[in-house]
Amino acid sequence: MKHTLKYTFSICLLLSMFLVNAQDSTATKKIVQEKSKAATKPVIQEAKTDTVVPPKTNRYGLRVGVDLYKLTRGLYDKDYKGIEIVGDFRLTKKYYIAAELGFEDKTTDDDRLNSTATGTYIKGGFDYNLYQNWLDMENIISIGLRGGFSTFSQQLNSYKIYNANPYWGEEPAIAAGQKFDGLTAGWLEVTAGLKAKVFNNVFVGFSVQLKLLVANKTPDGFDNLYIPGFNRTYDGNFGIGFNYTVSYFIPLYKKKVIIPEIQKSSPKK
Amino acid sequence: MKKIISFLLLFAFGLSGCEKDDICDANTPTTPRLIISFYDINNPTVKKKVTRLKVIGDGQTEGIVFNKSALDDEKYITSGDSIGIPLKTDEDTVTYSFILNSDNTNADLVNTDKLKFNYTRQNVYVSRACGFKTIFKLDTQTPYEQTDPTSDGLWMQNIAPINLNIEYEDETHIKVYF
Repeated sequence: MKHTLKYTFSICLLLSMFLVNAQDSTATKKIVQEKSKAATKPVIQEAKTDTVVPPKTNRYGLRVGVDLYKLTRGLYDKDYKGIEIVGDFRLTKKYYIAAELGFEDKTTDDDRLNSTATGTYIKGGFDYNLYQNWLDMENIISIGLRGGFSTFSQQLNSYKIYNANPYWGEEPAIAAGQKFDGLTAGWLEVTAGLKAKVFNNVFVGFSVQLKLLVANKTPDGFDNLYIPGFNRTYDGNFGIGFNYTVSYFIPLYKKKVIIPEIQKSSPKK
Repeated sequence: MKKIISFLLLFAFGLSGCEKDDICDANTPTTPRLIISFYDINNPTVKKKVTRLKVIGDGQTEGIVFNKSALDDEKYITSGDSIGIPLKTDEDTVTYSFILNSDNTNADLVNTDKLKFNYTRQNVYVSRACGFKTIFKLDTQTPYEQTDPTSDGLWMQNIAPINLNIEYEDETHIKVYF
């Protein structure tokens, strides 16, 4: 089941990249078209002066939101409590500084172990918007990088002894109640997501994350089975995650879109 | 852009290469058995095979299974030169009857020795899939107590605990000379 989930995520990610590719190719086509138009220079200049379109502007500002998945999960999953605040700030036309701040309290019930991880985390990095918006659309299909850090504690609630030769019978789970404090972990993650403007300044979005654990302070005589923000740990250093956000965009200033800029950037492709 | 995509692809495939970790691998060292090796009393460096040995724990009706593939009573019987016996993970002592020539029709040849092992236990974390294991340490003063319940003489002439720490199954913990 968990592996199915993992593969689904991988496939989703792959698919999302094809989506990204498709977008990209249309974008380049558009640029090519514009380029060919530019070849017949006088015409385009005339056209420009003819249609006095209000100049296209990009809005810059801060977007803050909350992860609905984490928030609502607490309602139906008694083993989970969590919240994640997301925020991003538009830096340039395509780049956004992004950060997530969260708290999680999760009880993991494995076959032989039952443990609870509680802690806070912060993730910071950037998003790169791959989506070429038309007119005043402000949708985002992005990929991004984050660095994450979590400080948390773990409690071992109960465990079972693994005995390959249960001649004396299988022992029931042993209650432990041992608490391990002061644990930390750091990781890198690649995130792919989209945000769509639903009305006014309200956006809904989701993203998937692939994570790579780089630092992990494990307790003596136990392991970090769940790290807030990183989620479940596996044998290797990998992790996965996703969020579903609703956010509000606070516009701070506007910038006019200067068309020659597109032409300048086009030879780079 | 292309670079980022190829990096993402690499990442995605890297993830699919992860090992399955929710089933406890049989090769993982978990709760060890006490390993007893048999040696020739007349030639202490040479291992000696027991004949038709059956080992039954106190209070149990069936013996320890030595040969899973054998049929019926045959699976409780060994004629090898070493055996592994499970210790109790919820008590600090365990008692076993070691019956030599267990299924011999000649009652005079059947010889039973009883051994009680004294030890301390420690539960150690293994992994998410395996949970914990118990490791044992035989008591330094009286690691074992030997009795002869059937008064047919002791067939174990010398018992030498050589490794009090029972953590792995790939080493002998007790040498028995007969």
